[in-house]
Amino acid sequence: MSRELELTEVAPLPGGESLTAEGLERLIGPFRRGAVPEPAEEMGFYTDTSVCIGCKACEVACKQWNQLPADGFTFSGNSYDNTGALSAESWRHVKFVEQFSVWEAGGGDGGAMPGRWLMMSDVCKHCVEAPCQHACPTGAIIHNEFNNVYIQPDICNGCAYCIAACPFGVITRSTLDNHAHKCTLCYDRQKDGLVPACAKACPTASIQFGPVEELRERARTRVEELRRRGVADAWLYGHEPTAGYSRLNAFYLLLDRASVYGLPEAPRNPWLSMRGDYLRAVLSVLPPLAVLITALLRGR
Amino acid sequence: MRAEPPPRPSPLSYAERPATKVPNWHGLVVLDVLFNNLSTGLYLCAAVGELLAPAAFAGVAPWAYRAALAFLVADLVCLILDLGDPLRFHHMLRVWKPSSPMSLGTWALVGYSLAVGLLATAGLLPGAAAFDAGRRVLVLAGMVPALAVALYKGVLFSTTAQPGWREARWLGAFLVNSAFHFGAALTLVLAGLLRQQDAVAGLRAAAVALGLLHLGALLLVVFDIAPFLRAVRSPARLVELGLVVVGAGILLPMLCFSLGSRGGDLLGLAAMLAGGIMARDELVHLPHRLQHAAGGAAARLRA
Ligand code: SF4
Ligand code: SF4
Ligand code: SF4
Repeated sequence: MSRELELTEVAPLPGGESLTAEGLERLIGPFRRGAVPEPAEEMGFYTDTSVCIGCKACEVACKQWNQLPADGFTFSGNSYDNTGALSAESWRHVKFVEQFSVWEAGGGDGGAMPGRWLMMSDVCKHCVEAPCQHACPTGAIIHNEFNNVYIQPDICNGCAYCIAACPFGVITRSTLDNHAHKCTLCYDRQKDGLVPACAKACPTASIQFGPVEELRERARTRVEELRRRGVADAWLYGHEPTAGYSRLNAFYLLLDRASVYGLPEAPRNPWLSMRGDYLRAVLSVLPPLAVLITALLRGR
Repeated sequence: MRAEPPPRPSPLSYAERPATKVPNWHGLVVLDVLFNNLSTGLYLCAAVGELLAPAAFAGVAPWAYRAALAFLVADLVCLILDLGDPLRFHHMLRVWKPSSPMSLGTWALVGYSLAVGLLATAGLLPGAAAFDAGRRVLVLAGMVPALAVALYKGVLFSTTAQPGWREARWLGAFLVNSAFHFGAALTLVLAGLLRQQDAVAGLRAAAVALGLLHLGALLLVVFDIAPFLRAVRSPARLVELGLVVVGAGILLPMLCFSLGSRGGDLLGLAAMLAGGIMARDELVHLPHRLQHAAGGAAARLRA
């Protein structure tokens, strides 16, 4: 498994040299720098949840393309969601929300709102200002030339700081290789001019891939159209920056509050607090230092 | 038509689950935070003592640096073993990234390791006494990375998205003040064991007074995270925690140190360590316990 996810492999050398060479490569390899690619057009996802049918083709396509292991056959009891959550082994997660309490209240006589299913294919948000990228102490997490957030699997050492930093709970550490993994926005396919596997597989165009500016325009038009057709609750999540968070390069058209889909209502970039926290910590050095100096001078 | 039932969220709805995922940080991280504070506290107290009262601290400081080095090694072992891939620890050194408290902390640890390593072993080298001026410069210079090591850890936790940690604006300040208190207590015990009475008087006063700052900083953190503590701990458990963390960890040591006996100093230090471990365990595991509490509440609703 870890081999499948590695970008670089040490070519075995003949005889007993291979072990030494591999050891040396392990030591100095991470310090080598490749050529930085030219910035390309910013690419991303616009996920229109209003047309998602919960088929999970995206989940399957992602697993297949990225050779991710199955999650096992666990029955969660939560609607058709047996994937459970995004993780190092599930980079797409289709969520199912059953809203039938209003329908039940109507006694099923058709007089009340008929209730509804909400479905949403969740993925890494490829945040423009990504807390995971800020956090990563090894530089494994980068914004690549498409301005997508990418974890270099041969660099990550599994410190788990990115997991703590992500407000969306996207990243986990793989139980197979102990490194952090998440959606790459099919970096490999993009470099070859291909559409990401999940978007390619989506039969309803719920997952739309393309230049982010184009997608934002398309999403705005779709919201207007839905509202004209009476879907008053349609709105876009993450297409504009907020006071506490940047734009998302994988943003959503939602039909209910963000929290209904398990998204934070008002995500906040933890790094906004960093300067203040450092300042408080630095200033807090002064009183104990003063006490120590006074006590030691008096005790002389 | 039946009456509208109250909103009945599905027990396992996405809305009820915390949006974040908790990193797999457990006992090793608790120990890492503790050893970090013990090492830097010892170094800082010994360094200030050596710079201000070189004669009084001449017998204590070298042993304090050696103890600080031992705690630092224990800290580094915890840090490395806690990685998913410990053999990739050196990947931390491939970037200098101040936007990441973990990266800043790594580089601070490198600087601090050099300073404390040199000072701990300097006395063992022949002719070291000739370089007294150089040694004092090193002691002073080493205080900068030592302070950085003491303070980065709290900021590392508070600049995450984890409920409980992300609200703890004074966590860095608490750990710094805690480090100074630990340092004064350890140096006091060390000076007592080495029978360095000239150093003891000042250290005793410091170990008592620093307890008040330790307590103040702890209260600031508790004020920030009180709603989260109440969500995961029963009132009775909170009282127990208060007794151990504040009573045994801060107030009892202050009392013990003020008694002026070597036995009292040892008892105070032991109580401080117990309270310190408990406080750190509570802080490190707060997001984990919040996740469990959310799951438990959902399960109860479902039942
Ligand atoms: S959603 Fe999380 S993992 Fe994805 S880029 Fe944003 S912070 Fe990183
Ligand atoms: S787990 Fe890996 S990707 Fe995440 S912050 Fe640590 S080194 Fe970076
Ligand atoms: S873009 Fe690629 S890696 Fe990301 S979810 Fe889709 S298929 Fe998986």
